[in-house]
Amino acid sequence: MASTPATMAPAERQRRLELRELLNAKYQFIDRTWDAVFWITAIFIVAGAADITKLLFAGDWDFWTDWKDPQWWPVVTAFATIIIPSALQWIQWVAWRFPTGATYTCTCLFLATWIGRYFQWHIAETYPMNFVWPISTVPAAIILDWLLMRTRSFVVTSLFGGAIWAIMVWSFNYIPLAPFLQPVPFMHHIMTVSDVQGIAYIRSQTPEYLRHIERGALRSFLGETQYVSLLFGGTMAMIGYWVGQAIGRFLAVWPIGRYIKTL
Amino acid sequence: MESTRGQAQAQADWGPTDWHSAWRTLYWSCAVLLACNLFLWVWDYNFAFTVGLNSASHAFTLHYRTLFWGELLSVGIFAGLWFGWLVRTGLPLDREEIPPAEEVRRIAVLWSIIGATSLSLYIEASFWPNWDGAWHQTMVRDTALTPTHIPMFYFFFPLSVVLALGAYLYGRFRIPAVYAPEKGFPWSFFLLISAAVLEFVQVAFNEWGHSLWLSEEFFSVPFHWPFVAYGWLASGMFAVWGETIIRLFQIEKSARRTEEMPVEHTTAAAGGR
Repeated sequence: MASTPATMAPAERQRRLELRELLNAKYQFIDRTWDAVFWITAIFIVAGAADITKLLFAGDWDFWTDWKDPQWWPVVTAFATIIIPSALQWIQWVAWRFPTGATYTCTCLFLATWIGRYFQWHIAETYPMNFVWPISTVPAAIILDWLLMRTRSFVVTSLFGGAIWAIMVWSFNYIPLAPFLQPVPFMHHIMTVSDVQGIAYIRSQTPEYLRHIERGALRSFLGETQYVSLLFGGTMAMIGYWVGQAIGRFLAVWPIGRYIKTL
Repeated sequence: MESTRGQAQAQADWGPTDWHSAWRTLYWSCAVLLACNLFLWVWDYNFAFTVGLNSASHAFTLHYRTLFWGELLSVGIFAGLWFGWLVRTGLPLDREEIPPAEEVRRIAVLWSIIGATSLSLYIEASFWPNWDGAWHQTMVRDTALTPTHIPMFYFFFPLSVVLALGAYLYGRFRIPAVYAPEKGFPWSFFLLISAAVLEFVQVAFNEWGHSLWLSEEFFSVPFHWPFVAYGWLASGMFAVWGETIIRLFQIEKSARRTEEMPVEHTTAAAGGR
């Protein structure tokens, strides 16, 4: 509950007065154009960093519907997509106390991925969009930001947020994926729609032996594979969250005003 | 880039952070980048499938090896001219006292160059890698200079190095309160420049790796991972924004102190670059 001026400690009252004075000050050179330029130009570097991280750690599982398997997809995607949102959570929280870093990043990533997927995969390479659509991490990011806002703790956000991230990223994207997992008879075999897409659209440079799908002893878990993968995906997301924190803390904020002494 | 006369005129008409003043550098540089990107995309759209599949053909040499050398030459010439201009016009400014309005304008120009660097990094890290992924997962490669590598690796990669270095040179000569050489080399630019340089170096490793281990395209293969490091190191850009914001507040504070002093003072903005 917000404290009233009467119950507030003198130091806190003084701090609030100073903040109010800062807010109401008449500035000669500082105006909203700086905010606008920062938030707009940062979109590009944030989108680029988030997309290259996703592309090169989990890209193959995001490119095609037939790669979105129950074993690897939930693990690599959860790890790769939480890194840059976590870095931006730190930057925006430290700079403005905005609990919006993950949502900002994932919105930038969403736009960048769709531009890439539409113009490059669909227009230039003529793959149908329903074969190469990208996942969205925006709903999971909103929850991650909400968690930071409520707990004000990066440790708690990483522990609970990491696990929630893996589940949310999978479950929100399972909705558009589900129709492609329906069974369909194809050349006297029962396959999924996504399998048929994979056969119909030739990918000469991605032969079957490269695909990390349905491999390993996890098959012995039968119907539980998905849940085991999600649990491990949550663990990987917790690790990814702290990789992102290291980027935000040591590569973005720590260098401010620091110099390598005379070369 | 701005001229001294145009800049003096701009200062007479507009304040240092009006949309028509220093931010023009942002619009124009981004417009040029987008125009280059559009040209390269349309080029690939027209020629990638028709002449880009056989690197031994004469048509490939005509359309793609020529483009490759043209890109490297144009980026090299641009870098030489721009860096030369930045240093030549920057050296005499070293000893000048900078009025607050002019320093604010210069910070806005630096932000504009950083904004263009940000756009260039997005194009090389997201826009082209998408086509590169689609192309190499589909087509058999018979050369390192493939139709998607040529715009991405040999235009936007070196261009990002040039833009990051140019941004530092601009700050080094024109914003001495933050980037004077006696302070040492800023970590922010060290990270940003090393991000761009590392990316370029990784191109060599990538091509070598594809020739040795894996000619097919598994995008998440470990020897692609160093490309990710550049995206992380480019966080140094946030430090550039952070340290110049701190400087803006210092300028604001000192300008307010000057205003509060009872003595008469002049606030005419001096010409500079």
